[in-house]
Amino acid sequence: MHKYFKKMDVFGKTLKDKMKERTRDNAEEMTAAEKEIGALKEKIREFGLPGEKINSRGMLTIWQRLEILVDEGTWNPLHTLYNPADNDDCTTNVVDGLARINGRWAVVIGFDNKYLAGAWVPGQPENILRVTDLAKRLNVPLIWVVHCSGAKLPEQEKFYPGRRGSGTPFFRHAELEQMGIPVLAGIYGTNPAGGGYQSISPTVLFAHKDCNIAVGGAGIVSGMSPKGHFDVDSAQELIDAAKKHQSAPPGTVDIHADETGFFRYVFEKEEDVLHAMREYMTKLPAYDPEFFRVDDPKPPAYPAEDLYHLLPMNPKRTYVLEEILARLMDGSEHMEFRPDYGPEMYCGLVKVNGMLFGCIGNRQGVLPKGYPEYADYQGIGGKLYRQGLIKMNEFVSLCGRDRLPIIWFQDTSGIDVGNIAEKAELLGLGQSLIYSIQQTEVPMMLVTLRKGSAAAHYVLGGPTANRHNAFTLGTAATEIYVMHGETAAVATYTRRLIKDQKDGKPLDPTVDKMNELVETYHQKSRPQFCAKTGLVDEIVDLKALRGYLEAFASATYQNPKSICPQHQLVLPRIIRG
Amino acid sequence: MAEEIKSPMAGKVISILVSVGDTVEEDDDIMLLEAMKMETTVFSSADGTVTEIKVQPGDKVDEDQTVIIVE
Repeated sequence: MHKYFKKMDVFGKTLKDKMKERTRDNAEEMTAAEKEIGALKEKIREFGLPGEKINSRGMLTIWQRLEILVDEGTWNPLHTLYNPADNDDCTTNVVDGLARINGRWAVVIGFDNKYLAGAWVPGQPENILRVTDLAKRLNVPLIWVVHCSGAKLPEQEKFYPGRRGSGTPFFRHAELEQMGIPVLAGIYGTNPAGGGYQSISPTVLFAHKDCNIAVGGAGIVSGMSPKGHFDVDSAQELIDAAKKHQSAPPGTVDIHADETGFFRYVFEKEEDVLHAMREYMTKLPAYDPEFFRVDDPKPPAYPAEDLYHLLPMNPKRTYVLEEILARLMDGSEHMEFRPDYGPEMYCGLVKVNGMLFGCIGNRQGVLPKGYPEYADYQGIGGKLYRQGLIKMNEFVSLCGRDRLPIIWFQDTSGIDVGNIAEKAELLGLGQSLIYSIQQTEVPMMLVTLRKGSAAAHYVLGGPTANRHNAFTLGTAATEIYVMHGETAAVATYTRRLIKDQKDGKPLDPTVDKMNELVETYHQKSRPQFCAKTGLVDEIVDLKALRGYLEAFASATYQNPKSICPQHQLVLPRIIRG
Repeated sequence: MAEEIKSPMAGKVISILVSVGDTVEEDDDIMLLEAMKMETTVFSSADGTVTEIKVQPGDKVDEDQTVIIVE
């Protein structure tokens, strides 16, 4: 099959100096927006006790632990700004990402021991569920760095119980294990109650000598008050009991290594736990990447810095999608599927790290004359029409047949509307695409380059493709909303305006409300908002996108659940004819 | 030999990115047009020197209307 994959078509052009000069403002605006988001991420990273304080207690911080655990340069963080419960004192108090450990890819998550010794907080279970889902979707090991003091008790009602509460990750760990996906845990510090289950539910436990895990910690073992209320005498009893139990908390290594044997390995030094986990990764299932490669890995032919000139921050400004893809894909090479059909969508085969992927993205700008073919109006990129929907249905189905993971690039304003569009069956074809995606059973990732809007946001492989979408990335130019704020204001208030006028009332108050709604839409569609509420899994700098593509490529091909032999792939033959 | 650069669509000229006397190459961006609420770049279809600019910012143009001449 080398004739297909070693001689793919080339796309993209060298960015001319004149074009760079003309788009310098855009590059600066994009960089400034990324810097602002980066500063927010750094603030979250530094949140809690200073690292020196943690170190003075003889412990490493979560970040120091990850630095030892993860292969240099392979940390691709996710959910950094995720804070669905809108906590004002922290985000979700866990740190997670996709990373390589001693040559093997894994989903990695750890408690931030700089805040409340790694406590459960509101919003955290939603974050952990995303992480367990990611391991499940990519079929790669889940690696925990456990240091969990249990629930933040004053707010327990917000996360402790419920269908998606803090207990569900333990069920998910069991699910992963039943699917043959190992869960490793390095365990540090005091882990009572929920922290105990965080520690016991993984597959193999690597313990630091000073850690403990227990059904209940010193706090409740010493704190049962039989009186039904507290007084000074019972307070003194508590002080005495707590002193005793804190010096000898339940569930230490003496119990869980020597007696129960729950801890498979115990280590003197914190660093040794992590080195042992790294070593253990080589025992876990993984194909050699060569098994799946269709070509030698190579970087894109054009620099990632060009992306800052090519992707406009101005959402009204069009661009050439292929020029973006040429800065992300191996050798800037591709094989386009049905280039003469459905011009609003790009569908094609691309390589990342030498492995084959389906790639789908919205083209921008005015479409060729006579398109869409069913209407007397001109088509515009970013919108979906009949042919584009049919083409995506075909391409996605064939990717499923060929077991090719799909990388989506979304920048869409919606699906064509009106009776002409209805007659052209767009409603049914959109849902057909969702059906096609659902039946592929291949992992997908999405980059929301700019806009995710209207029903088109649902049909383009995003988070709504629940079990298939591994993760969704946004950029500093991302905006996600059901419709533009001005459109929403018109839809919401036009009837009110008519009524106001009929009743002889001034229009100003309603006009003010319309402008307020526009502003609200703006604020609630920004990249920071999308990341905080989980509409995307991470906002990523344009120059870092390729790293995430490589991580997805390597992880998804590390141990796939099904295989199509290269010489039995049908898509490349359909494309070449 | 003169080459007529034509508007690929009907729309409104937002800005002209070249001046008379400028040297342009094929695929250089020469004009920004607004059409269907989007701003679209018009690219030169030839190498040469800009000898005439037939529109101004704010002008409405038709599809296939000549906007710039390059020699």
